[in-house]
Amino acid sequence: MTPGAERHARGHLRHRLIALLPVLGLAMAACVPAGEPRELSGQVVAERPQPAGVGGAPPEEGGEAVDDDCDATASLEPDGTEIPEGSTMAKIRDRGHLVAGVDQNTFLFGFHNPATGQLEGFDIDIAREIAGAVLGDRDRVRFHTITSAERIPALREGDVDIVVRTMTVNCARRENIEFSSVYFEAGQRVLVPKASDVTGLDDLAGQRVCAAEGSTSLRNIAEAAPEPVSVPNWSDCLVMLQQRQVEAVSTDDTILAGMAEQDPTTEVVGEPFTEEPYAIGIPPGDEDMVRYVNAVLEDVRDDRWDELYDRWIEPVLGGASPPEARYR
Amino acid sequence: MTTPGGSWNTDADGSGEPTRTPGYRAWISGLVELAQQAFRRLTVSAARTPGRLSMIAAGLVTLTLLVGLVSTVMAQGKKDAVDGLLEHREPVTAEAQRVYSALSDAEATAAAALLAEESETERLRERYEDSIAQAGASLAKASASAQDVPAAAEQVDIIGQQLPVYTGLVETARANDRQGFPVGASYLQEASELMRSAILPAAEELYELETDRLAEQQRDARSVPVFTALLALGLVAALLATQRYLRRRTNRVLNPGLVVATVAVLVGLLWTSVALVVHGVQVGSGQRDGTEQADRLVSTRIVALQARADQTMSLVARGDGDRHTEGFSKLSRQLGGSDGAGGLLGEVREQAAGGPAEELVNEAIENSESWRRADERIREHSDEGDYGAAVELAISGDDEGAAQAFHALDDNLSQAIAEGRQDFVDSTTTASRALHALPQGLAVLSVVAALGITVGVGERLREYR
Repeated sequence: MTPGAERHARGHLRHRLIALLPVLGLAMAACVPAGEPRELSGQVVAERPQPAGVGGAPPEEGGEAVDDDCDATASLEPDGTEIPEGSTMAKIRDRGHLVAGVDQNTFLFGFHNPATGQLEGFDIDIAREIAGAVLGDRDRVRFHTITSAERIPALREGDVDIVVRTMTVNCARRENIEFSSVYFEAGQRVLVPKASDVTGLDDLAGQRVCAAEGSTSLRNIAEAAPEPVSVPNWSDCLVMLQQRQVEAVSTDDTILAGMAEQDPTTEVVGEPFTEEPYAIGIPPGDEDMVRYVNAVLEDVRDDRWDELYDRWIEPVLGGASPPEARYR
Repeated sequence: MTTPGGSWNTDADGSGEPTRTPGYRAWISGLVELAQQAFRRLTVSAARTPGRLSMIAAGLVTLTLLVGLVSTVMAQGKKDAVDGLLEHREPVTAEAQRVYSALSDAEATAAAALLAEESETERLRERYEDSIAQAGASLAKASASAQDVPAAAEQVDIIGQQLPVYTGLVETARANDRQGFPVGASYLQEASELMRSAILPAAEELYELETDRLAEQQRDARSVPVFTALLALGLVAALLATQRYLRRRTNRVLNPGLVVATVAVLVGLLWTSVALVVHGVQVGSGQRDGTEQADRLVSTRIVALQARADQTMSLVARGDGDRHTEGFSKLSRQLGGSDGAGGLLGEVREQAAGGPAEELVNEAIENSESWRRADERIREHSDEGDYGAAVELAISGDDEGAAQAFHALDDNLSQAIAEGRQDFVDSTTTASRALHALPQGLAVLSVVAALGITVGVGERLREYR
């Protein structure tokens, strides 16, 4: 090999070595671990919102067993629809309007119709019947919307003349307020998504079941196996069911029917496992009012009851007849 | 290639044994010797006047250029800081404020839109949509700056995650409401709860963090540059001392070069002082009458918005509205005190007295009074169970209604906030202009001073040759 050729070959080799450098660099880069990709926000999990004031099991009522020995549904005998001077009814008539404590969130019974801006429903119409009797005008009623838990305080403090708000008569309540005769018979059942296998409260052991705070339904749930979830209003139960935060809602079939009407993917299942006789709540001491309201309800049973039932309830729960009035 | 006394390379014969150590030592000792020689020469020459003079000149020139550099950098820093306030920090704070108020507005409007009759709904719906869009856009702008501060970034995260959930709930509420389903009201209450318990607190925190950052940057911009000032005063003292020394040595009263240098330095000092005083006063005034006033107004406006949300929600949540009724009376006391002219509005009035926003604030106080009167009537209707009249009074735009009074209040406060921001921009722009050409001027002056020193001392030196 000539010196020139040798130099040439060496130069060639050097070029090759230089060309190898980046390859070496790359090889080194590949051998040293590169670490993880940098995450700026990490894995984010959605937090589901829930209605204000969600709670759990109801507080024990006074610590003693509920007294079921009384004849809860027996009210005072009606005494005609005359309004004597100085009576509770006369005061209402002089005031010019009846004040009724009602619900605005229970579809079919007491709800706010956004199209008309008015409160509507079976309970609302019953309250209008009373107003029509006392004042001669079904529209002369002012509705005071209250929650389930506010029903008894509102009556005891005299904020309202009557409460017509899916209110079950029972002995414990009777100790605090007066009740009219029963104007509607409901029973507690269970509302679940149609896709659910649940057929009654027994299938819901250990699962979250929603009811309004202060309601008898909540206590019934707490006594059965499920874990109770309480909310301020019944509608909040539907919100929680739709958000899959509870597995079921359990209360009176009337309220559940209203929910099923609002969400066609849910249904009311199981047989009624309680009797929930609804009566009008009246402030303690207003016995004249109790007798008067019972007289009005007698007329309603004979006349308007079927019409109101057909308008609000029949399409969902099927036919029924007015409950028998019982007096002591 | 070899160096005397040793070699940095391995030997050419390839034996591989480096002979570095002796060479290294020789090199070090050579260097030390060089330094010693230089020091000896310096002390010798310093003992004689010409040598001392050239050393003084070198020191003075170095000090002058150093002062020039430091003060130019300082002046440029001040200018950048004040321009940063105008261009970046204040606008970002305003975006954070917009996030907060747009969200509060959305909450207040969503409830009103649900309550209103068909004709009103369209207008309110539009306002709600605009508020949400505004909140989203402002959040995007504010989030870029919030990333520097972990606490702020966390708030942006919360808002970013929850706002879509909130709007989803409002739409669910609306869809149900349009079908006449009462569950709509429940969804709206849930949305309102989410807004109040998670989103608004985050927005408030974000706004407060940004406001603090703005205030801090304003304080920084106003701070007195003590180090630079001491350095400059030291330079003046050195120049005067040199002239006194020269006068004694040469019996000449004035050295024109040094006089020029001294004048240049004093001009620079005076200019900087005046510019910084004007700048500091203007930045301070922009902070006091501008951003701080706007901040107080923003708090006031947000309290008003939240009170409005409570007012409308109390009607949506009929039967369960006590929480909101109490919320309204608490917020309205906070807003106007016990007599309507105290509370936040009273503070704002005091602050705005004599300023451009005075009239707006006075009007806002009147609006707040009639709003409160309207609410009393809404409560009366509501307590009597006359729900329709209560809604009518709360939502409709007639002169006696709550909506009219609230919107007038909101508009007046918004305008007053805009006035506050304008005040900030005016004052801070003046502050920025006060520093106009200062960095460049200081650089030129320091070069002039350095030349003056060189020429002045050089003349004296020539006399010794």
